[in-house]
Amino acid sequence: MKEKKTIQLFIQIYWTFFGALTVIDKIVPDVYLYWVGADFYTLFIKSFASLGITDPIFATIALAVISFIEVLAFVCYLFSLINLFKGKDKFSEEWFYRGVSFSVLLFSIFSIGDQVFGDRFNLLEHGIFWIILVVSWAVYKYCSLTEERVINFSLSKDIKIGLLVGTLLTVITSYLILDFSKNTFTNKKQPVQGEEVVQDVYKFDFPFLGDKFVMENTLKAFEEKHPNLKVNYIYTGPDELNSKKKTHMLLYVFTEQQK
Amino acid sequence: MANNYLESNNRIMGKDLIRYFILIYWISFWLFNVIDKIIGGAHFLFVGKDRFAQMERLFDSLGLGNPIFANTALIITAGLETFAFVFFSGALYHFIKKNIDATRSWFFIGIVLTLTTFTYFSIGDQIFGDHFELLEHGLFWFITLLSWIIFIRIDKIQLFDNFSIGNKQVFASIVFTIVITAVSTFSIFSHNHTSFIERTQVIDAVKITENKYKIKFPFLAGSKAFESSIAKFKADNPSLNINYIYTAPAPLRLAESDGLIIYIQTDSIK
Repeated sequence: MKEKKTIQLFIQIYWTFFGALTVIDKIVPDVYLYWVGADFYTLFIKSFASLGITDPIFATIALAVISFIEVLAFVCYLFSLINLFKGKDKFSEEWFYRGVSFSVLLFSIFSIGDQVFGDRFNLLEHGIFWIILVVSWAVYKYCSLTEERVINFSLSKDIKIGLLVGTLLTVITSYLILDFSKNTFTNKKQPVQGEEVVQDVYKFDFPFLGDKFVMENTLKAFEEKHPNLKVNYIYTGPDELNSKKKTHMLLYVFTEQQK
Repeated sequence: MANNYLESNNRIMGKDLIRYFILIYWISFWLFNVIDKIIGGAHFLFVGKDRFAQMERLFDSLGLGNPIFANTALIITAGLETFAFVFFSGALYHFIKKNIDATRSWFFIGIVLTLTTFTYFSIGDQIFGDHFELLEHGLFWFITLLSWIIFIRIDKIQLFDNFSIGNKQVFASIVFTIVITAVSTFSIFSHNHTSFIERTQVIDAVKITENKYKIKFPFLAGSKAFESSIAKFKADNPSLNINYIYTAPAPLRLAESDGLIIYIQTDSIK
């Protein structure tokens, strides 16, 4: 196994998938079966509307231009990867450089947009991806310029022990994952049991798997269990009331006696 | 694997230390990720993250609600993480034994497994539309690449020859450290003494209009403080019925200085 070539391969695989999925996200703009993605169209429409540009043509043109640069970057990464597989390292490097240039241009445009639209979180995200891209290009170049190192792994005693320990740990972990899944999957539908914390106020501590169906089942079960109570208000406990990451969602149900 | 042994040389101690830190970081990183999968769910002394719930919800959002998909994805992840942990541990073992060639090879496989894991996660993040996680995994991918470069290139970086510091400076830094630690420790314990009560303390409601009341909770307040405050409000106002609670959103709070604020709307019990 060639050490530096492998790292180059991983860098190219990462950016090729990154480019491909970004393009797919534009082609498939909404939520479908097997694809959720991010709704960039809505984001662009809202961002432009915040500038006072409500005509959707501007947001649509901006998205199309962005998408075009993303396609260019993806094609470059793809050609770079194909050339690397074919052993044409020089062509691969040239295509990778073109891909990185398009991506740097893209993240620079995004960063300018983020500042215009006042979106500091996206500015941080795009700035971080910009530096990751530049540094991964530098690492790629470093791998091209320095001497290759070949790793010869034979099935020596230490490797055998490593593989055995790894396999054993994976088997144990897999068994426990399946066991946990089997024991907790019912939380996906099962109603949550409420606890009366204040007179006529019930608290429901939802499990992490609990969703809208659990909520509906919980309310149904609660009303069946307490036919004399009328639910007159439901309050979702805000994050500040949660015990950091341990609590998924707290729901308080305020009731009164049926007349 | 060739067994090239490092010469004992004090000057590379600093560089060895950085390599030890890199190895220990990745070993503990993957060890705790594996433990998180083994334990599953929140328990006494370990909260971790309910990965099964997270995966199940993500796959369900794609229309793949059958737990087999979440389980398969989790098992693949656990396999990659376990082997990454084993190879980084092997690298540490060889490093302690000063077998530098074997160290580099084991470390490299650990890096390859780590890059595979974060690439796999990043693909998932884009499919599931979770751009916050994409940023997180992209950053870890980047950290992995950098730690590989630093691990193999540290010999080329000029570090200081030794760690010797003059006695005067050592004494001054120790005194300074002790004084500042004493002050900060006193301040922490004093704050604990006066503020821990806020975790469950009942907060009185303030009347805002005819039928609206405000409760301003301290930062430490948890669900018990909320429940006790509602109980007290009901006890103080037996003729009133709570018909709505409004949580003040972040834009209505004073930057980071306000904790949870709720507004209670009531009507009279007939």
